[in-house]
Amino acid sequence: MNSVGEAFFELKREYDLCFNRWFAEKFFFGDSAGDPCGQLFKRYQLCVQKAIKEKDIPIEGLEFMGPSKGKTENSS
Amino acid sequence: TNILSASFYRHPWDTVIKAAMRKYPNPMNPCVVGVDVLDRSLDNQGRLHSHRLLSTEWGLPSIVKAILGTSRTLTYIEEHSVVDPVEKKMELCSTNITLTNLVSVDERLVYTPHPENPEKTVLTQEAIITVKGISLSSYLESLMASTISSNARKGRDALEWVISKLNTELEELKSTRDGMKPAMAAASTEK
Repeated sequence: MNSVGEAFFELKREYDLCFNRWFAEKFFFGDSAGDPCGQLFKRYQLCVQKAIKEKDIPIEGLEFMGPSKGKTENSS
Repeated sequence: TNILSASFYRHPWDTVIKAAMRKYPNPMNPCVVGVDVLDRSLDNQGRLHSHRLLSTEWGLPSIVKAILGTSRTLTYIEEHSVVDPVEKKMELCSTNITLTNLVSVDERLVYTPHPENPEKTVLTQEAIITVKGISLSSYLESLMASTISSNARKGRDALEWVISKLNTELEELKSTRDGMKPAMAAASTEK
């Protein structure tokens, strides 16, 4: 599946792989360690945000998203 | 215009949700050409919140684009979902964020286990279509309503397709798991 910025396809692919594995194998079994894909997500997300700005896609509150928000960190 | 539909899958809730999270690409929705995660988090009740951007290409001829007054190739949809693994409920809401001066399509999907049979999953789906402007509104709304009903049926087929694809992948993953372990151990020490 493509990403909004074609140049970031590989970053997205790595993140998706990590997330899909965690989601299928851990999430439904009440794994308390949380989402382990935080680092991959940060790198991928920076690229997505850049592509969204470049393509002028009207997502509101974009400037408040990102690693500094802290929500996507795993609980450890 | 509101469209309500209910359908069920002959698969347990976990299976359907795993497929729903990986719904695209699939042959029944060829217009969805991109899916990106804008944000994702677990709340303190263990529910997974995802905020995603879907890119869709309708293949509109350029003359239609000129009439619509858009130079964009793609239409974008924002999607929020919440998966509650304890209560076994997935709720998904989406809305278009481009072409909003012409039309709004708001959809809400809720997946829950069938109340009488845990091997089945119920999907309730609601779509609210609002066409802006006056003269063509009721015609365009009924046209969109029939497209969305047909897409609701295709969406059902789409998940069935993803489920069988995931089952194949699971078999392949199990057989290569030993090769993955060193790579995953290395990745986890980076955290």
